[in-house]
Amino acid sequence: MQTLNRMTLRFDSRSVNEAFARMTVAAFVAQLDPTLEELNDIKTVVSEAVTNAIVHGYRDQMGEIIVSARLLEGNFAEIKVKDHGCGIADIEQARQPLFTTGDSERSGMGFTIMESFSDKLKIRSAVGRGTTVTMIRHIKGREDVI
Amino acid sequence: MQILHEREGTSLVVYLVDELDQHSARSAIEALDRIVTLYPEETIVLDLSRLTFMDSSGLAVAVNLHRMLRDTGRTLTIRHTPSQAMRVFRAAHLEKQIHFEPAQKEGSPCRH
Repeated sequence: MQTLNRMTLRFDSRSVNEAFARMTVAAFVAQLDPTLEELNDIKTVVSEAVTNAIVHGYRDQMGEIIVSARLLEGNFAEIKVKDHGCGIADIEQARQPLFTTGDSERSGMGFTIMESFSDKLKIRSAVGRGTTVTMIRHIKGREDVI
Repeated sequence: MQILHEREGTSLVVYLVDELDQHSARSAIEALDRIVTLYPEETIVLDLSRLTFMDSSGLAVAVNLHRMLRDTGRTLTIRHTPSQAMRVFRAAHLEKQIHFEPAQKEGSPCRH
């Protein structure tokens, strides 16, 4: 699919940046004229992926998170969230509902929410090298809403 | 994130205001823990009408509150859940474990 527009963000793995990341990506995807629900879904998946990078990827250390987004032909949004943290040893286990390596404020539902709110979810990870989560969402847009 | 509370009849209504994500989840859990301890007799209603965003961190906040209340023989009711937050709760099937009152209608005024 042809890329119509793209953008990249780089920021520290500080939790205060979660809101910055989701708001910025949502503003970028707004070019596709999404419904409010679609925009909220985009915010949600970005928040989940960035949180995973902060909490699980870098844990107690500071690192860089790279969020990139592409608007694709056919009204698709592709969002990638990449870290250079500890990686995921067992991706299938990590995708299981309620699985978490985090503290009590984590629910273990991050990947489940990402899967529910996107059309396609791909996770690439290598232990000691980091993780990249790629999500694709078709934006039907407000014109299709009855 | 702000957490406000007020008495409403025999219940204590707790409002979560603004956005709830991993950045605010720990302070939210601690604040709710203090409220549950300070008001050991009251029925707790969590009002989400002023919540503007919630990710899966909100699930942990709700489950923690649900467990704290259950341990003291009480139950949790969540009301006025915005549609975005309700979709997160439904994805986790939490609506089967926690009592949700019907959502607030879009555009209806806040109580404050």
